[in-house]
Amino acid sequence: MTTFATMDALVQLENVVKRYDGPRAAIDGVSVRIDPGGAVAIMGPSGSGKSTLLNLIAGMDRPTSGSVRVGDERVDMLSEAGAARFRRRQVGMIFQFFNLLDDMTVIDNVLLPAQLGGAKAREARRRADELLGTLRISHRRDAYPARLSGGERQRVAIARALINSPSLLLADEPTGAVDSATGDEIGALLLGLNAAGQTLILVTHSPELAHRYARRVVHIADGRVASDTAVTLP
Amino acid sequence: MSAVFRAAAGGLGGRRLQAIIIGLVVLAATAASTLALGMLADAHSPFDRAFAQQNGAHVAVTVNTSVASAAQVANAAHVKGVTSVAGPFETDSVNAKVEPPGVTGGSITTQLNLVGRSSPGGPVDDLTLQQGHWAAGDDQAVISATGNAPSQLGTTITVGSQTMTVVGVADSVTSTADVWVLPAEMAAIAGQGGSGQAQLLYRFASSATGSDISADIGEVDAALPSGAVLSHVSYLSVRQSEQSSIAPWVPFIVAFGVIALAISVLIVVNVVGGAVVAGTTRIGVLKSIGFTPAQVVACYVLLVAVPAVAGAVAGLVVGNLLAVPLYRQNAQVYQVGVLGVPFWVDVVVPLAVIALTVLAAAGPASRAGSMSAVQAIATGRAPRPRHGFFVQRILAKLTSVPRPVTLGFAAPAARPGRTLVTLVAVLFGAAAVTFGVGLATSLNRVYNDISPAARLPVRVVPPPPAAPAPSPGGGSVHITVGPHFHGLGALTAAQQHTIGSAIAATPGTQHYLTQAADNLSLPGLGSSNAGAQITAYSGGDPAWSGLVLISGGWYSQSPAVRDIDVNTLFLTDTNTSVGDTYTLINGTHKVTAKIVGEVFDPGNDVSIYTSQATLTAIDPTVTGPASFAVSLRPGVSADNYAAALQNALGTSYFVGTGGGGQALIAIITLVTMLTLLIIVIAGLGVLNTVALQIREKAHDIGIFKTLGMTPRQTLSMVVCSVGITGLVAGIVAVPVGILLHHNVLPAMASAANSGIPQSVMSVYSAPEMVLLGLAGLVIAIAGALAPASWAAGSSTATALRTE
Repeated sequence: MTTFATMDALVQLENVVKRYDGPRAAIDGVSVRIDPGGAVAIMGPSGSGKSTLLNLIAGMDRPTSGSVRVGDERVDMLSEAGAARFRRRQVGMIFQFFNLLDDMTVIDNVLLPAQLGGAKAREARRRADELLGTLRISHRRDAYPARLSGGERQRVAIARALINSPSLLLADEPTGAVDSATGDEIGALLLGLNAAGQTLILVTHSPELAHRYARRVVHIADGRVASDTAVTLP
Repeated sequence: MSAVFRAAAGGLGGRRLQAIIIGLVVLAATAASTLALGMLADAHSPFDRAFAQQNGAHVAVTVNTSVASAAQVANAAHVKGVTSVAGPFETDSVNAKVEPPGVTGGSITTQLNLVGRSSPGGPVDDLTLQQGHWAAGDDQAVISATGNAPSQLGTTITVGSQTMTVVGVADSVTSTADVWVLPAEMAAIAGQGGSGQAQLLYRFASSATGSDISADIGEVDAALPSGAVLSHVSYLSVRQSEQSSIAPWVPFIVAFGVIALAISVLIVVNVVGGAVVAGTTRIGVLKSIGFTPAQVVACYVLLVAVPAVAGAVAGLVVGNLLAVPLYRQNAQVYQVGVLGVPFWVDVVVPLAVIALTVLAAAGPASRAGSMSAVQAIATGRAPRPRHGFFVQRILAKLTSVPRPVTLGFAAPAARPGRTLVTLVAVLFGAAAVTFGVGLATSLNRVYNDISPAARLPVRVVPPPPAAPAPSPGGGSVHITVGPHFHGLGALTAAQQHTIGSAIAATPGTQHYLTQAADNLSLPGLGSSNAGAQITAYSGGDPAWSGLVLISGGWYSQSPAVRDIDVNTLFLTDTNTSVGDTYTLINGTHKVTAKIVGEVFDPGNDVSIYTSQATLTAIDPTVTGPASFAVSLRPGVSADNYAAALQNALGTSYFVGTGGGGQALIAIITLVTMLTLLIIVIAGLGVLNTVALQIREKAHDIGIFKTLGMTPRQTLSMVVCSVGITGLVAGIVAVPVGILLHHNVLPAMASAANSGIPQSVMSVYSAPEMVLLGLAGLVIAIAGALAPASWAAGSSTATALRTE
C-alpha cells in the first residue's frame, strides 16, 4: 500500500475503490497525488474508469472505499450539500459536450456558479466580463449557446468553470466535440491557464493531447493505475 | 406486432418512473371519478339507490292480530302481485325513557315504534347495520339511525320494567321502526296477550305509481278480515318526504362532483401527453429502424396503456374503499341510511379513463409518428423552442433574489401549455377550498340561525303530566325533545315571575323570552302538510330569539298591533311580500295581520312569528306563554347553566338543554372530505407536472449540481417552479370559489323553500380571503415537494449522464 505525505498535495486519492452493480470495480485501488499547479492527464480507453475518477475528485460521486482529499477537504466524507459547496469553491469543470444551459445567455451561464455561491452581483459581473474578455468571447455575451460555434461554447464553459477562481480545473475530454483547429485553441487556453498557476486535471483518450498539454500522464486500465509518467514539454 | 410489444416492453422497463406516475395519476383519476360520478348518481336518486340496495318495503302494513288470526296473517303474505314479504314482526308503539350514555341523570321520554326481529337481514327491508351488532339477548336493542331517539351505542331504553341497552345502530330506508329488539323481548314488553299488532313488509311486482300501490294494498286488505289492517305506509310517500329533505344538499354535491371529474380528466391528459412528448427522440429512433407510423402509435399507446390499466384497476378498488366512509357521511346527510357506488359507475369509469388515456397518447404519438425519423430525433434532442428564454433572461437580472428562486420562477414559461393545465388543476383545488370553507361557514351560520338548540339553548317548562317526576332534590338536567312544546298549559303569572326571577339571577344569562307555540291548519297554506307553526316570543325583543331576518323588521309587542313575521315558504304559498297584509283564519277566528318581516326559517313547514296577543287572537286556547327560552353569554356551558337553574327552580320545573348538531357535523364532515379529495387530486396534478419537468430537466439539474447547487437550493428551485403557478391559481380561485358559493348556496336555500339572509352569504372576511388566496400556493408546494426532494437527493453524476 502506498502512503503519500499530505504536505503540499492539492489532490490526494488513497486506495480508492468504486464499485457499481457489476462484479468488476470501476476504480480498483487507485492512489494518486497531484501537487498544486500541476497539469495531469488521465488517459485510458473507453470504460477504463477515467471519468469515474474525475467524478470522485469533484465530489460528484462517492468511492466505495478509500479516501479522496482535495486541499483540506475529505471529499469522500462530505454531505451532498457539502460537496456542492466544495465544487462551487474549489472546482471548475469543463465537459466534452460543454453542458451549457440552453435557455440562458452566455453571460448568465458564466455567472451562474457565482450566483449560486451568493457572490456580490457587481463583483461577479466584473469577473465574468474579465473572463469573457480574456477568452475572447465578450462579443457573444448576450447570445444563447445554440448560436455559438463549438469552440465558442467551450470557451464559455471554461469561463464558467473559472468564475469562482477554483483551485482545481477538471476537464473531461475538452476537445472531444470540436474540430482539430478549435481543439488546439482550447488546448492552448488550458496550457496558458496552467502556466498561470491553475492546477489542471485533464481526462482524455488522446495521447497527443495528453503529451502536448500535460506535464504528467496517468494511464488507467481496468480501473487501476497502469502507469504514471512525467512528460517533458516541448 | 411482436416488435411493437418488445419496443413497448423495453420502453416500460426504461421508464419505470414515468410508468409509475402514469399509473398513480390514472389511479387517482379513476378513484376520484368513481367517487364523483357515484355521488352525482346518488344525488340524482339517493332514496331509490338505498331502497334498491336494502330491498326496501313497497308497503309496510300493520295488522291488528286480535282481529286477524295467525293463519289469516300468513295467508296475507301470499296475495297476488307479491314478489317477497318479510314478517309478521310483532310491533308496538310505546312510551320509553331513553338515556344516552355519559349524560348523568339526562333522559328523554319519547314515543318509540318497537319491532321484534331476530335478524337485520331478509328478503324485504334488509337493514343496514351502521354500528355495533344485532341484538343477541333480551336486554339488547338496535336503534334506528333516523328514528325518534338519539342513535348512540350504549344508550339505555326503558319501557315499563324492561331496560335494554343499544348495541347496534341500523337503518331502514322506509323507517320501519325506531327500535328493533329480539321477538322474545318484544313479547316481554308487550306482556301477556302480546301487543296485538304485527308488521308485514311487502315488495310487489307493480309498484311504480300510486295507483299500483293502491291496487297492491287492496289485495292485502282483501286477504285480511275487515278492520284487521291498522295502517299501511307506501314507500312512495316516504320517498316524496325524503326527496324534499335531500334536495337542498344536491347542489353542493353536484358542484364537488363536477370539479372532481374535470380535474381528473385534465390531469390524465396532461400526464399522458407529456409522457409521449418526452419520448419523441425514442420515436425517432424507432422510425429509423423501420417502425411505421401506425406501429409507433401502437407502441406508445401500449406504453401508457399498461400502467393505465393497472392504475385504473387499483383506482377502482381505492375508489370503492374510499366510498365507504365518504358515502356514509353522504347517506347521513341525505338521511337514507346507505349509499353505494352504482355498478355501472364501476364499469364505465375505468373504461372511460383507459379510453381517455389511450386517446391522450394517440394524439401526440401520431404527430411524432408522422415526422421523419431525423426530424423526430432532432425535435427530441434539440433545445426546446425558445419559450421562456426571455423570462429566464429578465429574471437573471434580479440579483437581489436568490438564483435558485429565479431559476424556478422562470420554469413555467418554458412549457406554457403544461403550465396552463397545472394552473387550472390547482385553481380547481383552491376554488374547492374557498367554496368548501365558505359552505361550511354558511352552514354553521344556518345552524346557529335556525336551530333552537343554538339560538336559545336553555328552556324552562313546567313538567308535562305524562313525564316521570323529577328526582327528589333536583339538580338533574332533562333534555327536551323538539323545538316546540305543544299541549303545555300556559304559565301562571306567579310561575312566570318565579322562572323570570330565577333566570335573571343565574349567572351566564344573556337574554330570555317567554314562548308560546301553536300549530294550526290555516286555509291557503297548501305546501305544509303539518300545518303552520306559530310562535309567540314575548317579554323582550323578538330579535333575542336569535332568528335572522332576510328582510323587514320584527313584529310589534303592542297588544293592539297585528304584526307577523313569516318564513319564505309562507310568502311563496300565499303569494305575498313583506309589507302586505294577510288574513289568518282559524275556524271562526280571523285576524288580519301585516307581514312586517321575512324570517330565515327553511324547511317544509310554514312558520309564523307574532306577539302573544296576536296568537291568542288567532287561537284563544293559547292564553299565554308556556315556556321560557334563554340565550347564554358566550362561553357559558348550557349544561352547567341548566343545572344551576334547575337547582334554583327546584323540582317544579324542567330545565332543558337542546341537543342536536349531528346533521351539521355530518354535512361539514362531508364538505371537508370532498374538499380534501379535490385537494389531493390537484396536488397529484402538480406532482405530475413537476415530475415531468424534472425528467425533462434532469440533465440541467445535473449541470446545476455540478456547478455547486446544493440539495436545498435544488429543492427551492423546483418548488419555486410551481410556486408562481400555485399563487396565481390561488388568487384566481378565490373569486371563482366565492362565485360558486354565491350560486350554490341560494340554490340549496331555494330547494329548502327559503331565501337566504345576507349574513349567511357574506362569510368571507378580507383576512380569510387573503389566507384562501394562499391555498393554491400550499397545494402547489405540497404537490411539488416529493419530486423536488427526489431531484435534490439525486446523484450529480447520474443526473449529468441523463439525456
